[in-house]
Amino acid sequence: MSNVSFMHGNEAAAEGAIAAGCRFYAGYPITPSTEIAEILSTRLPEVGGVFVQMEDEIASMAAIIGASLGGVKSATATSGPGFSLMQENLGFAVASEIPCVIINVQRVGPSTGLPTKAAQGDVMQARWGTHGDHPIIVLTPSTVQEAFALTVRAFNLAERFRTPVIVLMDAIVAQLKEKVLLPGRVDMECRTLPREGASYKPFAFGEGSVAPLAPFGGEHRYHVTGLLHDEHGFPTEDPEVVARWWRHMNTKLAAHLDEILDWEEEALDDADVAIVAYGGTARAAAHAVSLARARGVRAGLFKPRTLWPFPEEAVRALSRRVQRIVVAEMNMGQIRLEVERLAAGRVPVQGVHRADGLGILPAQIVEAAMAPLGRAA
Amino acid sequence: MSGDRLAISHWERLLATLELVTHALPRGDTPIILSSLADAGPSPQWGSGFSFVHGPAGRNIALAVGLRAALPHVPLILAMNADSVTLGTNHLIHAARRNVGMTLLLLRSELTRSDAASGQDRTAWELRGPQCGLEAPARPLEWASALDAALVGRACLEDPAELAALLLRALRKPGFSVLGVTTDRSLATGVLSECDWPEYFDRYRDWARPLRENARARDAAVAAPATARSVPRYEVRIAGLGGHGVKLAGTVLSEAAGFHEGLWATQRGDYGSATRGGPSSVDVVIGSERITYPCADEPDALVVLSQAAADRHAAALKPGARLVADLGEVTRLPPNALAVPIAAIARAHTGKPIAAGVVALGCIAALTDAVRPESLKRSLAANLPRASLDSNMAACAAGFAATRAALEGVLHG
Repeated sequence: MSNVSFMHGNEAAAEGAIAAGCRFYAGYPITPSTEIAEILSTRLPEVGGVFVQMEDEIASMAAIIGASLGGVKSATATSGPGFSLMQENLGFAVASEIPCVIINVQRVGPSTGLPTKAAQGDVMQARWGTHGDHPIIVLTPSTVQEAFALTVRAFNLAERFRTPVIVLMDAIVAQLKEKVLLPGRVDMECRTLPREGASYKPFAFGEGSVAPLAPFGGEHRYHVTGLLHDEHGFPTEDPEVVARWWRHMNTKLAAHLDEILDWEEEALDDADVAIVAYGGTARAAAHAVSLARARGVRAGLFKPRTLWPFPEEAVRALSRRVQRIVVAEMNMGQIRLEVERLAAGRVPVQGVHRADGLGILPAQIVEAAMAPLGRAA
Repeated sequence: MSGDRLAISHWERLLATLELVTHALPRGDTPIILSSLADAGPSPQWGSGFSFVHGPAGRNIALAVGLRAALPHVPLILAMNADSVTLGTNHLIHAARRNVGMTLLLLRSELTRSDAASGQDRTAWELRGPQCGLEAPARPLEWASALDAALVGRACLEDPAELAALLLRALRKPGFSVLGVTTDRSLATGVLSECDWPEYFDRYRDWARPLRENARARDAAVAAPATARSVPRYEVRIAGLGGHGVKLAGTVLSEAAGFHEGLWATQRGDYGSATRGGPSSVDVVIGSERITYPCADEPDALVVLSQAAADRHAAALKPGARLVADLGEVTRLPPNALAVPIAAIARAHTGKPIAAGVVALGCIAALTDAVRPESLKRSLAANLPRASLDSNMAACAAGFAATRAALEGVLHG
């Protein structure tokens, strides 16, 4: 049984967080994500949760890590300037494998940029923003319905893989109001707890496995550190142990790509041109597919919902099926580079890019799809 | 900062104190220790006595705020050094101001330096080395007192019983406490200041209780919409200035279509940073199929409320589309525009220019049957305060009538 609702992406993300079991939010309001904080400041106390407006985004990120260590699902939301401040503690959550969710509603950067205008310029920041090699999961919604569903999914993946998960929204989806059908119940991943009485390795190394995370304050007492550590959480500089830590970190997502990767294909079966687009831009791209087909060009849409890890095999396969690929994104080519790498010269890859605060127009994408080959690739 | 090292003898004394305190606490109240000091960091010497967070320097205070929210009764002890007066200062100020339950042990600089300068004020941190004396020292105990921290005190590390007693007192006192830990016996010890405020999350839970009960009682059911008619994609753009009520108009129109007509609908605004006076526009797309592209780049119906909006948007009109322009605000009317005195109608019925958006809705209802007037009325009732509903309904109806009259003029004139 679904509830019909009419809401914007920020509200859907907030409701998704509540539905997924988030009961702690710490944040510092920033355009264009502010409504998430505003809504959760009302909704969380209603469901027995806690909302705290922190002094800044550094503190917000630290506080959600603390709550998660205490056994409470937690999240924060921000936009570019705040996301930059979160990178320090985001790295701590990665290194100490603490689940949490960060919703970043992208606006035009760098710096203060264009505060109210939409962009998709934080794609690489979401992947590599904190220092050091590290695994990360980044999801990106293109509809208000997906803003709800992917926020729920972010919490589930965070618990499943003991990792921060970033919901990379853009101001188009965040501020867009549309009709959604909210499910009465959602599938919820609950935290696995270690067996009582058993000896517990809170950071057990595995090939694609993660140890259960015992909440602080209970039977299991252990150490959590941002230093590279052994399976008990004690710091180590022993290259052999560090190598095993890396193997653990590098395989914990890579061994489960089939579970993590998510994308949508539309009209690609007979397509000569594949349009790769995500987030708010995928809406213009879907429209462009019908416009192009009306003009006799067989176009189709490839819409990643998981941005990181990137659906590499699917895009590689795509480059074997079509004559050309058009990548449309509100940045200067952050995913286009990835697609070019995967297409490996098999087909021309053409970018449609802008970061001036205006959304990409369907006509711009159609033009790229129909442009004579070799003009720009 | 995280490289600061505690002399082993000091370290052992501190550990002994924490063990003393833990024995004095009720069973199960084992403290969680947070610190970014290198040697206070996690190591097997802690055994399984304590849970330990070795977070980034200074950030442990903010991390403890989240831990406190999740675990209302577990004692939180932060062993801090210079990170309390550098990276962590803002977190210290706000945790103290909110009175979040945690106890900071400020391990004074002489505890972590072998070459502690003598004859200096040891209640504070100051720069060492060649720039010594350039800056005034930082005095975190005095800051905490000024912020009305629950308890501020000082104890000598060489007197573990005294330190343990003071720490126990701080842990039992609800809220944020700071204890200076020193080896300088010339400094005053004991409680330096106290303040009785409720602990932040205790107060939060009391505050939230009625909200939770009200929410439980609230009826959450939302009626399913009526079955949709077949309506082709219909794009509407209303453009004016901040203060014209453009955003509200978009909400009323899209909810009228989405809820009351059972159609699919999207609403997208472009409002800029300024709330008033800057360009402001809203796109509403309606149809019986799910809306892919939510922008009205080629509107079927365009209402412009200012000259700037007319200049910017009128050219995008596709053949067969309708343009309504405010008679009065738009002085250079685009060709084929229907001139309706929107602002004048808004002022006449409500006295407020912000009702222009609602008048514009009446104009749109006169141009299409995608959204029927009854649905618009129901959506207006759901989105406007009761006190101003009647006047806005009248303004909307007047916009409808004036647009129909203008259409008649075009069709028959």
